[in-house]
Amino acid sequence: MADVTAAAPPPVEIVVDGVSKAFGTVQALVDVHVRVRAGEFLSVIGPSGCGKTTLLKTIAGLIAADAGRVVVGDRIVEGPGRECSVVFQDFALLPWATVQKNAEFGLLLRGVPAAERAERARGVIAKVGLAGFEQAYPAQLSGGMQQRVGLARALAVNPQVLLMDEPFASIDEQTRRVFQDDLLRLWSEERKTVVLVTHSMEEAIYLSHRVVVLSPRPGRVHQVFEVPLPRPREGAGVRATAEFARLVDDLWKILRKLQ
Amino acid sequence: MVVALRLVSVIAFVLLWEWAALVQISFNFPSPWATLTALVALVGSGAILTATATSLQSLLLGFGSAIVLGVPFGLLMGVVRPVGRVARVYLDLLIALPTAALIPLVILSFGINILSSAVIVFVFSVPFVTMNAYGGVRDVRPRLVEMARAFDASGPQLFFRIVLPSALPMILAGIRYALSRAFVGLIVAELLLSPFGLGRLIMASRSMFEHDRMFATVLWTLLLAGFALAALARVEGRLLRWRT
Amino acid sequence: MPDVRESDLGRTGLIAVGGLLIVWEALGRLDVSMFVPPVTTVAAAWWQLLGNGTLTRAAASSLGSLVKGFVPAAVLGVAVGLAMGRFATVRHLLDGWVNALMSAPLSALVPVLIALFGIRDTVVAATVFMFSFFVIVVNTLTGVRGTEPSLVEMARSFGAGEVALFGRVYWPSALPAVMLGLRLGVVQAVKGMVVGEMLISLVGLGERLIYYGNTFLIAELYAVIASVLLIALTASQLAQALDRALVRWK
Repeated sequence: MADVTAAAPPPVEIVVDGVSKAFGTVQALVDVHVRVRAGEFLSVIGPSGCGKTTLLKTIAGLIAADAGRVVVGDRIVEGPGRECSVVFQDFALLPWATVQKNAEFGLLLRGVPAAERAERARGVIAKVGLAGFEQAYPAQLSGGMQQRVGLARALAVNPQVLLMDEPFASIDEQTRRVFQDDLLRLWSEERKTVVLVTHSMEEAIYLSHRVVVLSPRPGRVHQVFEVPLPRPREGAGVRATAEFARLVDDLWKILRKLQ
Repeated sequence: MVVALRLVSVIAFVLLWEWAALVQISFNFPSPWATLTALVALVGSGAILTATATSLQSLLLGFGSAIVLGVPFGLLMGVVRPVGRVARVYLDLLIALPTAALIPLVILSFGINILSSAVIVFVFSVPFVTMNAYGGVRDVRPRLVEMARAFDASGPQLFFRIVLPSALPMILAGIRYALSRAFVGLIVAELLLSPFGLGRLIMASRSMFEHDRMFATVLWTLLLAGFALAALARVEGRLLRWRT
Repeated sequence: MPDVRESDLGRTGLIAVGGLLIVWEALGRLDVSMFVPPVTTVAAAWWQLLGNGTLTRAAASSLGSLVKGFVPAAVLGVAVGLAMGRFATVRHLLDGWVNALMSAPLSALVPVLIALFGIRDTVVAATVFMFSFFVIVVNTLTGVRGTEPSLVEMARSFGAGEVALFGRVYWPSALPAVMLGLRLGVVQAVKGMVVGEMLISLVGLGERLIYYGNTFLIAELYAVIASVLLIALTASQLAQALDRALVRWK
């Protein structure tokens, strides 16, 4: 099996420097400053309509900022770059392609030869726990499994940065918890810089080093919330601790004021 | 911008036509201007208006009967499922069949007259009216029927309060599509029958080598159909205002 | 577009068609009308026309025009639909025409085609083209426009350029709609073939229809109608088979 981590370049830092973005007359982001450390797991949370997704897509280079700039590693973001992979809320799987072909898609677009593509895709498919489903079509999979394909596709190109846009929003609670543990395990193996947009406080605290709280309309950084829980957290019963409950409550107190 | 582009395409079309007439891609290919002049003359003399009135008579007769018979029958097919299953087979065949092939048979049965072209219009349009009324009933959301049942609705209440309004958009869409088919049938019938209507005007002009008159009549016919379809679409929009 | 779902000629279909044929045969034997000849008489006439080559000759000419008209309509129709779907300028230039002509009684244009080409079988091919082109354009256009924006965004996030976007996202995602367009288009094409041939009344099955109508050969007339129906059903089945072969993932 191909060792996907072997060639993994070291994680990089992301600097969001005074980014503003408006859609027509709606101001989505105003003067947002965020610094994501290399190898950090950072979540962005906020009420709906606060511009979390806009911020993520600006980092991904899918949306151009009106003002300010985003720097990923040593590249100023002007469009989608090779350092970043995006995991989408609605999975964005090609319905006409098998799991294998979906996982290969990023590699295909980047001109990786077929044999290597197939091997690397098989590797990441196994990594996300879908070995044996290579020839299935997305329509034959549950939501949770579909998002695993989305994750496999993102990991296959071996990015330094993983950008996740509410990846668990349309997955049921039980599946979500298992998936979150798997994600933490993958993160500790691969040490990527991760930015996760979410609306779940528990999820943000369970997964991240820090949580950026955005205020709504227009979106600004309201507060940066530290999560001092020890790692590894997966399978350690962290959710049941009083510390976890207190952190969720603290985060809720901040968010409630923003409603 | 959009309007400008649409305008450009119309102008380009007229220029292309003008060019085609100029280089004589075929003998007696009239220019846009000649066609327009002929059209004005045809309207002025009343010839085209008489022909239109005759054509519309068979259209209304045939298309009207298609609605009056097709809609209730389609609804029946939807409500009484066994009828639907069987009649569906014939409808599918009728929709696939190149209906024009039936024209000689219709002419033999009804003779060369307005009734004949009305029957042809009917045969062209009735499968689509019926099929959509049937489809409309079949696509009623089961949740709504369940809801009405929960309120103890009677059969007629269920039909008139739930089924019919739910099916209406599809019925109307079917009627509109059927109108375009009706025009196709009308024109083919008249071109073949020839003794009356717009078809006769077209064929007579052609045989007299008055190509400008022929082009003018064809143009008039297309505009007439376009106008009728647009008018029907407006009515449809009015009736379905709740959908926005 | 009306609801033209795939017809399932299953058991109900066989019973319905079989029943119709039996009733027809009975009415024919009872001699209720000269326009209802017994099915067996029609079958015999069909067999005889097939045997003496009349039917094969006419059908060969008809199918030739069908191919000559439909293939260009399919190729050009898909190309124009794709261009309209992808480029707003092309769309705004053409959508008025396409929408108007899609539902226009194009049969009125056949005399214009005759003026252009003369009374030749080219007119039939041109009629076939005209009848099938627009429905193919519209369905292709709808398919391209219906591409999930999130798939486009996903591909862009991996750095896809215009060519890759088109080949890897827009085209496969439009394919089911393109195939539907071709299926509807081929049915329209057969209709165009019959209309064109009847109006020029020179060659093909359409000419036979006119001829047997004029000469009161009712059984022969029915035999040709049945052949035309057979061609229409076969063409649509072929298009459906192609659809299934190409769009397996649905």
